[in-house]
Amino acid sequence: MHADRSQRRWILRLIGRLGFAETITLGLGLLLLILPLIPGKYVVVVGAEIIILGLFAMSFNLLYGYMGEISFGHAAFFGLGAYTTALLMRFFQAGGGEVGYGQFLLAILMAVPVSALGSLLVGYFCVRLTGIYFAMLSLAFGELFFYIVFSWYSFTKGDDGIQGLLPPPFFRDVTQYYYFSLLVVAIAMGTLWWITNSPFGYSLRMLRENKNRAAFLGINVRTCMLVNFVIAGAFAGLAGALWGPFQRSVSPHLLSCMNSGTAVFMTLIGGAKYFCGPVLGSMIYTALNGYITLYTVYWPLTIGLIILLVVLFMPGGILSVVDQWLRRAQTHRNASAAEVAEDPKKGGGASWPSGFSKSAG
Amino acid sequence: MGMDFGSFVLQLFSGLSRGMMLFLLSSGLSLIFGVMNILNFAHATLWLFGGYLTYSFMQAFVKSLGSQVLALLPAILLATAVMFLLGLALERLIIRRMYPRELPEQLLLTFAFILIFGDLIKLIWGVENRRIFLPIEPWEILGSFINPYFFVIIGAGGAVALGLWWFLHRTRYGKIVRAAVFSRDMVSALGIPIPVIYAGVFGLGIAIAAFSAGVFLPIMPIGLGVDMDLIIQCFAVVVIGGFGSILGTFVASLIVGVVYSYSILIWPDGALAIIFLILVAVLIWRPWGLFGTELRY
Repeated sequence: MHADRSQRRWILRLIGRLGFAETITLGLGLLLLILPLIPGKYVVVVGAEIIILGLFAMSFNLLYGYMGEISFGHAAFFGLGAYTTALLMRFFQAGGGEVGYGQFLLAILMAVPVSALGSLLVGYFCVRLTGIYFAMLSLAFGELFFYIVFSWYSFTKGDDGIQGLLPPPFFRDVTQYYYFSLLVVAIAMGTLWWITNSPFGYSLRMLRENKNRAAFLGINVRTCMLVNFVIAGAFAGLAGALWGPFQRSVSPHLLSCMNSGTAVFMTLIGGAKYFCGPVLGSMIYTALNGYITLYTVYWPLTIGLIILLVVLFMPGGILSVVDQWLRRAQTHRNASAAEVAEDPKKGGGASWPSGFSKSAG
Repeated sequence: MGMDFGSFVLQLFSGLSRGMMLFLLSSGLSLIFGVMNILNFAHATLWLFGGYLTYSFMQAFVKSLGSQVLALLPAILLATAVMFLLGLALERLIIRRMYPRELPEQLLLTFAFILIFGDLIKLIWGVENRRIFLPIEPWEILGSFINPYFFVIIGAGGAVALGLWWFLHRTRYGKIVRAAVFSRDMVSALGIPIPVIYAGVFGLGIAIAAFSAGVFLPIMPIGLGVDMDLIIQCFAVVVIGGFGSILGTFVASLIVGVVYSYSILIWPDGALAIIFLILVAVLIWRPWGLFGTELRY
């Protein structure tokens, strides 16, 4: 009992010093770093999916959590990245039989500018709208991209998808590919951290809270939204680029609105107001998906019920609930330390800002 | 790609009946969104559920009534009633809790319904497509053979559209619903029980959807996955027509239905892509839709 309390205090102190989001990010990072120590290949396969889809969901959250607009076509850029890498790898394979290391990295890196270009095209129109209209236009563009990839058989192989995306020998081992993805995603997340904590990142939060006020303060709202849209698209493309060689194939369904939905769910389950909320969401969603399918064919029913419960009883996502719970513990600790017989609600508040919303204002 | 006059007429009727079904589906979606601000992602999945129910009821009735045509009508009505009650229950038990939440969380909830009801369908009816064959001789009209059932669909759709219009504009409850679209708080302040209105509207929306599924069953096989295609087309219809405008929804449904029907003939894979092209164009040119008011945007 006593040990438990002191342990909790230790966590609270760490959170107080580092910040809630930072502590959780650090914890998730360490967990993912040692994940392959768990015996069995399947854990690593699921782990790699968690990492890659986590980056995808984080890129989506740049639009949703930071800018306050919901996109239902974000998978288009994930798919665009995946297809860029896949087609380039096929091209290199046609040239020399095997994909070289330099060629492989080039194929992955090229996904970034291609998806950025795609999102520039879509974003140019989307940022003119907000709210439900933004969501609908992104959905329409996403479906348009899906049908282009689906029906352009001569270029994309249509519904068959592209198979046989064999990466160079080093990346064929699941664990080695896992660490490669982890490295790429860690660099991407570092960049995202830098972006979201830059003045630009704070401008985005301001757009989320009040676009008119931001405009009055001299922020070019559309340009700001467009730049963010392109950044989000580029990171989604990078995630897609990692996905293809890992699965050894790509199919048009990577661009479907269901896949866009996946990013939305991961973000909402984890907590859109926290930097690494989408990664936690990806961990939960992907792991459930990976393991429930082993036991039952009715996994949509199971995951549907889980989503239902999370939405009903955990508003703001899991991290939000944990944050509030720790905050109460902290308040309680502060109150008892001061030995003030005050209403605990009035006692000193937690010493970290809630999510990233308060720190903006 | 030779399109003679006969197939032109055939596609026109097929497109009109598809448009009617889209209208029935989208009007419920639009009504629910207008009154409760809930965008029901699962609307088409509940439509599909209603379709399967109609199918099962019909199988049961055929045994006692003996005739396919005779069994269809009571089956549709029973399924509509059951789905109305299901809609009431869903609203009272679950959706009611989501009103203070943000739009994405509401969408996530209705998406959970898609997964749950989609899988329930798989659990109950399996993965094969279901279809009803009505023994009806096609009529020869303007040189092509038209299934007269198209007229039944167009007639039923038109009747429900008129009924809905009459309900919303001529009855006390319809006026309350329209007032609730305009200002919930004011309606509530007048002593009208908003929760009852909400449950009723949700039930009504689902019931209309189930009705349209039943009516459409004899010309279109239903199966898993149909709902996703359909819900996105419904979104397209609602946006093209303008949120909250029943007339807009009606016109947009017919446009989408007919355009889809002709595109299927010319470019089968791209039929939906053309719909989305129209949607993109409308959103860029008139984000509030053809018949919506700029105020709501």
